[in-house]
Amino acid sequence: MPPAAASKLDYVPPDGGWGWAVVLGAFISIGFSYAFPKSLTVYFKEIQAYFSVSYSQIAWVSSVMLATMYAAGPIASILVNRYGSRPVVMVGGLMVSAGMILASFGTSIVHLYLCVGVIGGLGLALNLQPSLTIVGSYFLVKRPLANGLAMTGSPVVLFTLAPLNQFLFDSFGWRGSFLILGAIVMNCCVAGALMRPVNKNIKPIPKTAPPNGEVSEEKQDETKSEGCLKRFVDVSLFRHRGFLIYLIGNCVMFFGLFAPVVFLAPYARHQGIDEYSSALLLSIFAVVDMFVRPSTGFLGNTKWIRPKIQYFFSFAVLFNGVCHLLCPLAQGHAGLIVYTVFFGIAFGMLCALLFETLMDLIGAQRFSTAVGLVTIIECGPVLLGPPICGALVDSLGDYKYLFYMCGIILVGCGLFFFIMHYYNYKKLEEEKDKSASVETRTPEEEEVELKPSPESPRFDGFLIPNQILNDR
Amino acid sequence: MICLTFFSFSLTYNLPCFFFLFLPLPSFLLWLIRVSSSEPSIAVSESVTLPVEGDALTLQCNLTSANDVHQESFWMKNGEEIPDTRSPNKNTEYRLHRPRADDAGVYMCVYSFEMAPPGNATIEVKSSPEIVGHKRSENKNEGETAVLYCKSLGYPLPVWTWRKFENGVFREIDNNTERHSISSKDNYTELQITTLDIIADPGEYHCNATNIIGSRDEKSILRVRSLLAPLWPLLGVLFEIIILVIIIVVYEKRKKPEDLQDDDDPAGPVKTNSTNNHKDKNLRQRNTN
Repeated sequence: MPPAAASKLDYVPPDGGWGWAVVLGAFISIGFSYAFPKSLTVYFKEIQAYFSVSYSQIAWVSSVMLATMYAAGPIASILVNRYGSRPVVMVGGLMVSAGMILASFGTSIVHLYLCVGVIGGLGLALNLQPSLTIVGSYFLVKRPLANGLAMTGSPVVLFTLAPLNQFLFDSFGWRGSFLILGAIVMNCCVAGALMRPVNKNIKPIPKTAPPNGEVSEEKQDETKSEGCLKRFVDVSLFRHRGFLIYLIGNCVMFFGLFAPVVFLAPYARHQGIDEYSSALLLSIFAVVDMFVRPSTGFLGNTKWIRPKIQYFFSFAVLFNGVCHLLCPLAQGHAGLIVYTVFFGIAFGMLCALLFETLMDLIGAQRFSTAVGLVTIIECGPVLLGPPICGALVDSLGDYKYLFYMCGIILVGCGLFFFIMHYYNYKKLEEEKDKSASVETRTPEEEEVELKPSPESPRFDGFLIPNQILNDR
Repeated sequence: MICLTFFSFSLTYNLPCFFFLFLPLPSFLLWLIRVSSSEPSIAVSESVTLPVEGDALTLQCNLTSANDVHQESFWMKNGEEIPDTRSPNKNTEYRLHRPRADDAGVYMCVYSFEMAPPGNATIEVKSSPEIVGHKRSENKNEGETAVLYCKSLGYPLPVWTWRKFENGVFREIDNNTERHSISSKDNYTELQITTLDIIADPGEYHCNATNIIGSRDEKSILRVRSLLAPLWPLLGVLFEIIILVIIIVVYEKRKKPEDLQDDDDPAGPVKTNSTNNHKDKNLRQRNTN
C-alpha cells in the first residue's frame, strides 16, 4: 500500500514513532491558536471599565488577533518552507508571550490592539501553519487520525483556558492574568521543541552513481527555486482543480460556520434560559467536539472512507447545515441541548477534516504554501461572518433567520463539495488510467522528481506515473 | 355663628335664623360658609408596621361625608400615583400581597370632586430596613480606589453607618480621614477608599442601616492584591517551560548519534541495495532501450 505513495515524496513518512510526539506538539500549538482569542473574552468587561471604552471597541482586540492570525498565513508558509516547522513555532510562541507580557503593562486600548492583537496574532499564525505542515510530513497512512488528534487541541485548550482565565482574573486582575498567560502561552515553545524535522534519510546520496546525481541536482534546483522569491506565492496552485474547489467552497462556508457558535449563548438567553445554563451549552458543545474530532480522524482513516475522504467532508458540511436549519424547531432547554450535541458532532467532524482534505488534495509538499493562501483568503469570511449575522438578527429581530441563513449556506456548500468532488474524482481516475498506460513505456521516469502533482487515491499503486502529468 | 350651627341641624325651627339667611349676605361669605363646612371627612385604616400576619395587607379609605359631588378616587405611594387604582367608589381599598420592605412607604388615598379641591388621607406603612444591593467581595490592586456600596428598601429612610470588623471588634469608619469618604443618600450609601494600602485596608466592612423600626447589617470583604502577586506563578511557569525544553533537546541530542548509527546500518546496505537496484535497473533499461 504505502510504498507507492511514499515515492511521491522523497522519503517514507514514519507514520508513528516520534510522529506521535509531534502530534502532541501540534495539539498544543493548534489548541492555543484557536482557543486563545476566544478565551480572552473573560477579561473584556473589566478592561472595558478600566479604559472606559465601549464593548465593540474592546471586542476589536479579539477580532484583530483573529484577523492577523489568518492574514499572516502566507508569511508563516514562507518561513516554514525556508526554515522548517520547529524554529517558526518557537519564535511564534515567544511572540505571543511577548505580546501578552507587554499588554499587561498597557496604558491604553490601542496598546492592547497592538500587543495582543497584532503581535499576538502574528505569533499564533506562526504556531498554526507549521503545526499542520509537520503533521502532514510525519504521517501518510495514518494522516487523518493524526490530523483529527491534532485538531482536538482546540476544544481541549478552550475548555481548560476558560475556567483558568476566570480563576486568574479573580486572583490577579487583568494585568496580572495577562502576565501569567504570557508565560502559559510559552508552552508553545515546548510544543515547538517537540517538532523535530522529519528524517528524510532515504534521499539518494549525490556522491553515488550519475543517474542519482542527476536526480539530486534536479531536486536541488527545485528546492532552490522553492526558496526563491518567485515562489513565495505559488500561483500555480490557483490552477489546481482540487485547490480551487476547496478554496471556493471554504470561503463561502466560513460565512456561516462560526456565527452559530458565537450566537448560541445569546440565543439561549433569548429563549428565556438563565445565564448559567446558556454557558453550560457551550461547555457541552466543547466536550462533544473534543470526542468527535479524534473519532472522525479514526473513521477517516478506515479503508472505506480514506479513498473518498472528500465525500466524508462534504457530508460533514451538509450535516452542519441541516442541524442549523432544524434548530428553530428545538424548543426549550432540552431541545437546545439536543441541538448543541448534534451541532458539536457536526462541527467536530468538519474541523477534524478541514485540513486533512486540503492535504489530501494538494499533497504534503505544497501544503504549507496552500494553507497560507487559504487562510489569508478565508480571513474575510471569518471576520465578516458573525457581524453580518449579528446585523441580520438585529434588523429582523429573530434568531431563527440567522440559523436559516447559516443552514442554507452550509447545505449549499455541502452540495457544491459533493458535486465538485465527484467530478474531481472522475477526472483523477481518468488521469490515472491514462498514466497507467504510460507507465508500461517509461518506468525510468519514476526516479525523476518533476513538479509536485495532485495526490490521487492512494491505494492502487499507480501514483508514480502521475508525477509525469501536469495538473493543468 | 350660633345661627349657622343651628342651620345645619334644623331648617324649620329657627325662624329668625331662617329670615337671617334670606337677607342678602355678601356672596363671598356664602362661599366661605360652604367651604368651611365642606371638608370631606375620610375614615382611614391605621398605620401599619411590617411584617404583618397573613398573606395580604389591606389599606382602606372611606369617604364618609363631603359637600361636593365625588368624582373618583385613586391611590398614591410616596408622592406618585399607583397605576390602575382609579375608581368611582367612595369606599376604596388597596391590597398589598405578601408585603415586603419594598412595599413600605407613605400611602395616600385621594378623592377628587367636581369643584372642590381634592381631599386625601395618609396611611404610613413602616418596616425595618432591608439591604438588597451590596458587593459581597471586592478585589482591587494596591494603590487603586475601591468603592463599596449598599442599597436598602424600607420606610422610614434609614441612617447609614460604615464599620470595619477587625480583631473581633467593630470600628466605626470616620468620614474625615483623607482616604475614606462616605456618601449616603436616602436608600443608598457608598464608601470610597482611595490609594489602597495592602496592610491597613483589606478586611470585612459592614454597612448598617437603622431606622426607628429596626436596623440591618451587611458585610463586604475587601481584598487588596499585591502588585508583585503574579510574579511567583509567572516564574513558576517559566521554570517549568525551560525544564521541559531542556529535557526535550537533551533527549534529542542523545538520540541523534544513536539515530545516525541506526540509520547508517540499515541505510548503508539499503542505500547500496537501492543504488545497486538503480544501477541494475538503469543498466537493464539501457540494455532494453
